[in-house]
Amino acid sequence: MMDAAWRRSTRMSQAGALLATPTEKPREADLAFDDLYRSSRDDVYAYVAGLLRDAAAAEEVTAIAFERAYRKRSRFDRRRGEPRAWLFGIARNAALDELRRRGRQAELAAEPEDLAAVPAVESAEQSERRLALNAGLATLAPRDRELIALKFFAGLANAEIATVLGISESNAGTRLHRALTKLREACDEAL
Amino acid sequence: MKPFSEMRDEELAAALRSLRPEPSPAFAAELDQRAAAGFPRRSPQGARNPFARFLAWLRNGSMMRLLIPAGGVAVAAIAVATVMVAGSNSGSADSEVATSAESVEMSGSESTAVGGSADLAPLTKQAAPEAAAGAEAEAEEAIESSSIQVEPHGFKGAGNGGAAVTAPHRDVERASQITIGTKPGEVGEASSEVFETVHRYDGIVLNSSTQNGSGTQAEANFELLIPSGKVGDAMAAFSRIGEVVNRHETTTDITAPTVGAGERLQDSQARVEGLLAQLSEATSDTEREVVEAELASERRHAANLKAKLSNLHRRANLSHVSVRIVSGKGALSPGGSDKDESWGIGSALDDAGHLLSVAAGVTIVALAVLAPLLLLLVLAWLAGRAWTRRARERALT
Repeated sequence: MMDAAWRRSTRMSQAGALLATPTEKPREADLAFDDLYRSSRDDVYAYVAGLLRDAAAAEEVTAIAFERAYRKRSRFDRRRGEPRAWLFGIARNAALDELRRRGRQAELAAEPEDLAAVPAVESAEQSERRLALNAGLATLAPRDRELIALKFFAGLANAEIATVLGISESNAGTRLHRALTKLREACDEAL
Repeated sequence: MKPFSEMRDEELAAALRSLRPEPSPAFAAELDQRAAAGFPRRSPQGARNPFARFLAWLRNGSMMRLLIPAGGVAVAAIAVATVMVAGSNSGSADSEVATSAESVEMSGSESTAVGGSADLAPLTKQAAPEAAAGAEAEAEEAIESSSIQVEPHGFKGAGNGGAAVTAPHRDVERASQITIGTKPGEVGEASSEVFETVHRYDGIVLNSSTQNGSGTQAEANFELLIPSGKVGDAMAAFSRIGEVVNRHETTTDITAPTVGAGERLQDSQARVEGLLAQLSEATSDTEREVVEAELASERRHAANLKAKLSNLHRRANLSHVSVRIVSGKGALSPGGSDKDESWGIGSALDDAGHLLSVAAGVTIVALAVLAPLLLLLVLAWLAGRAWTRRARERALT
């Protein structure tokens, strides 16, 4: 990606001014963003899809989130948090904008098959448990589902979740515990 | 099957992780492709709309991208405003210097009028009745009844109808100061013209002083009394002697004290006549002596009142005029008649200083206008951010 950006900037320089020489190197921010993109692409998608429960919308929002992050990469301040938390903050804003735009508050017709690949070999019990879990997730409030998506789909640590949500780490842990309790109850009801 | 409430946390976590949504290979490949291309800007919805395109440009533009043209526009606007202000200051110096420094104050009635006309008669006619409207309303009858007593004498109305000062029922005292700039070698000639003007308008020179000096700092001062009815014409004549550097005129309505003194004089004269009648009818020496003493006292009182009234009439009829003739640096404006002096480095520095001060003034005015607007914009931006944040959180509830 950064090689392409380097080539593009060089092309632009050559087109814009004859004195430009192809000595420009990809900037540090570009390299760091490249690493961030590679390590977080699937996690961001998993979080957004878990929150929105719509594969098409999740793809769109994921693309928007990376685009915004790329545009703002030079404004990132490491003192305010880790790059991953910063990226998930952008993705969260984009996802919530999508929710607002569509005005459906994450209560879309869930299509679990779209969101999670169904294992080829699965016992009846496993299948039943997966369906119950999906049903439980669907009944959770979006705020609780977001916590679960951040923790178990995106794989964020509690500290990162706290940064993304703008709350304390202990508060994040407490909320997560409550969300899991609600999920257990919802899944048991679905069984 | 074990219920979820009995599952250990690790089991539940594993079950949830098995549900993790994965991007489709097609989407992942497309996103990788876009990432490799540096996330090229996708044409937003409604991109054909110029306004939407502009908004998108604003949203996507970096601060530098916005600040550079904004700063350029601001500098250009300040430069244009500076040129306009500096140009308007230096142009038509004669008339503008005269009019800007000219003011007429109506003390005693808290009324002020500002005008550029050299002839003050219309100002007096307009301002005096307005000035008297409040404070002097109660004295209106007295004024009318004593109009004969305040009838001007001496200079009053001499040859000009007395329209300026003797507007009906009003006595106005005037004081004027005028500073005239000339070339250093022309101060003597200008002084002669002052004397001629004073003579022409039946004025009196109270005192005068002329300082020729080294030729660059020559100066002359005159303290004059000019018949009030002619002071407007006289001031116009003084203005023609040279370039008016400064002009200030003050008027004070003295109708009330004049009318009061006139009434008291009338009363005193009546008492004198009454005492004379008593004296003629006195039958004893003692009675005669008492009446004579009263008569002497009353006559002294009447004489004092007459002097006071006369003084008031003189103040109304003769205006005090201070004329100052200056020369040398600063006496003439750049556009004045001082064109034979060469324009050198000093003048250039003066002009540069003037230009910089005008530019600073324009900048301060612009900031005074823009600061509240910027503050409002910042507040609106902060409110917008807070609203967006709340709206996003509401989307989760």
